[in-house]
Amino acid sequence: MAKALPGYGTIVVPKDREVPFGAVTPAPVGTQKLFQTSNWRVVRPVRDEEKCTRCLQCYLACPDACWVYKEEDDRLEWVGDFCKGCQVCIQQCPEDGALVAAPELDFEGGVVRLDKPF
Amino acid sequence: MAKETMMTGCRAAAEGAKAAEVEVICSYPIRPYTAIMMELAKMVANGELDAEFIHGEGEHAQVSVVLGASAAGARAFTGSSGVGVTYAMEVYSPMAGGRYPVQMSIADRTLDPPGDFGSEHTDAMSTRDQGWLLGWASSPQEVYDNTLMSYRIGEDHRVMLPQMVCQDGYFISHIPDKVTLGEASQVKEFLPPYNPIHPLSTTNPVSHGPQIRPDQGAPMDAMRAQTFLAVPKVIEEATADFARIFGRKYDPFVEQYKLADAEIAFFIQGAHANTAKAAVDKLRSQGVKAGLARPRWIRPWPTHQLAEALGHVKAVGVVETSTSYGGAMRGGNLIHELRASLYDLDDRPLVTSFMGGLGGETIWPADFEYMAGVLSTMVKEKRTDRYVYWLGM
Amino acid sequence: MAKVHEITVWARGVLMDKEGRDVINIFAQAAQAEGKHAQAFDNYEDLPDRVLVTVRKYVRLSDEEITHKYVYTNDKPEVVVVTEATIVKGIDVLRGMEPGGTLIINTNRPLDSMLKLLPNANLLKTIATVDADGITGVRTVDFSGSEGGVDATGIGKGIAAPIVGAMAKVTGLVKKESLAKIVSDVSGMERGYNEVTIKHLTPAVGELVGAGKHK
Repeated sequence: MAKALPGYGTIVVPKDREVPFGAVTPAPVGTQKLFQTSNWRVVRPVRDEEKCTRCLQCYLACPDACWVYKEEDDRLEWVGDFCKGCQVCIQQCPEDGALVAAPELDFEGGVVRLDKPF
Repeated sequence: MAKETMMTGCRAAAEGAKAAEVEVICSYPIRPYTAIMMELAKMVANGELDAEFIHGEGEHAQVSVVLGASAAGARAFTGSSGVGVTYAMEVYSPMAGGRYPVQMSIADRTLDPPGDFGSEHTDAMSTRDQGWLLGWASSPQEVYDNTLMSYRIGEDHRVMLPQMVCQDGYFISHIPDKVTLGEASQVKEFLPPYNPIHPLSTTNPVSHGPQIRPDQGAPMDAMRAQTFLAVPKVIEEATADFARIFGRKYDPFVEQYKLADAEIAFFIQGAHANTAKAAVDKLRSQGVKAGLARPRWIRPWPTHQLAEALGHVKAVGVVETSTSYGGAMRGGNLIHELRASLYDLDDRPLVTSFMGGLGGETIWPADFEYMAGVLSTMVKEKRTDRYVYWLGM
Repeated sequence: MAKVHEITVWARGVLMDKEGRDVINIFAQAAQAEGKHAQAFDNYEDLPDRVLVTVRKYVRLSDEEITHKYVYTNDKPEVVVVTEATIVKGIDVLRGMEPGGTLIINTNRPLDSMLKLLPNANLLKTIATVDADGITGVRTVDFSGSEGGVDATGIGKGIAAPIVGAMAKVTGLVKKESLAKIVSDVSGMERGYNEVTIKHLTPAVGELVGAGKHK
């Protein structure tokens, strides 16, 4: 048994590929930077300030929480980083013409441009 | 000083879980492990153990329930036998990769077909790639001791892995033997409370097991493999501590019986290792230099420890109570990894295997004498004639 | 080894998955009919069962057997085809392209407005647009060919037809007669071939300016 037995070597995981321990991640309590889905959309919702009655159906319906309502200022804003253009808000809006779909290409910017898909 | 009583392996496992003050138990009946849950149910009903006792709707549900309990921060306990172990197969990797140190107490049973109750190790063996700690006891006392040691090792923050504590069905699980239980103070000193790292919590919310990016798949595996490099040290520390506190000394990885000057040796785990020891004694009295190596851990496999323990032996007989149909040696599981462990030695032993105890059969003393004869012939002829011998067939 | 022409087709999940697949399948089958070697497959990691997510499909052509069959992404696409124009705004479609590549977009918008959306347009030698939606107005949706299955409804019934016609005209890698034998909508394909708008640019060869990234 003079020959030394082989060892198991070392495993070095590059920092940028590390996975959190047990694949446990902090639960999002706000906005997270990873899976920004704004480049999924083909159309974006456009709100007519005059016709909007603040019924807040769009705010309630959005599956990605893209509508932000500030009660103190009576401000209803669309935040597009995650909007996938699903148009549920447009379908839900009860006022004719208050919320319409406009082609995303008509607008400059507003889409988080990704290097590669996720 | 704690009293010594006669108890079965099933009762000993239950006593171990009780001493460990498990918080969540999920049961589902299957013979022969079922008495473990029966005993625990009695303890919970009598108020001896304060635990949530949940009856799962199947073994897959059992393991899923304890995964959730462990994720929420509870020390969880479950178990199964035979096809019950394989039914829960889907959950084993998530449990190990998610780092939930749950314990599964397994009393072996032959896999179907058909419903043979007898012990075979293939049930737990077939999960050995899933990333759990895995080892066999060879007495009810060792079942109790392994239950405590496995929790201690599995819950160590350097490890955080689930553990399977296995015993032969019927032989260990149903035949009583002398067991000394630990005092509460001893257990308290040996086994600290479960301290989870990221439990599910309303005050500190986390997500368990979200989807990862495709390029994180390989690093996830690498990090799990990395953990196993750290496990042996924790096993050594825990085993030494156990000896200090409870007064029962175990070799951390491989029990060696009359092995130091042995020329032929049996490599055997579980109940029949006891019969093998008696056979070794008899062979020695007849002038045969026989010895025995009993692995206490299958995962992590004690590669270097086995090379060191068996390196000087001339012929090793692996006694397999499990099957790996179509495997390299066309027999059981242990021989592949044992041969791999010995491969790099300058003067390697000859290695063959004997399929014994399958279907819950007894391995008789005469069988060991037969095996010793085969091994001695191998030594004399300096060659391995066959990879595998099927005892009695 | 002969040159392997890498063509990456971008589409959107569920609603345009079949059209994207049709593009690569038609092109590959036409190339094979002409005696070339071809590979056509979806990118597995892009998970096209998500509606509207950007997905990639790959087709590779070569005069010889393609040995790197399972080296599986098109790291250096020579031709990028975008079947839905908004994709260009949201993701770097030219990633990995060597200078001198080609971009073909299905849109009715002016070609220059598309160029403005590309920070790394300096990689391109050729850019082309074809109004496939205007030509056929049909986008077929079908899942029989997804996840490695075999398409059961026929290929080239929708916008894929004009797009492959445009691809044949711009790249010259495949003859339109070969395409005509495979697509269902032959007139759509012919119109795509004839109506594509092509613009040749002068790329900054050997030098990268702006956000162009090589992997």
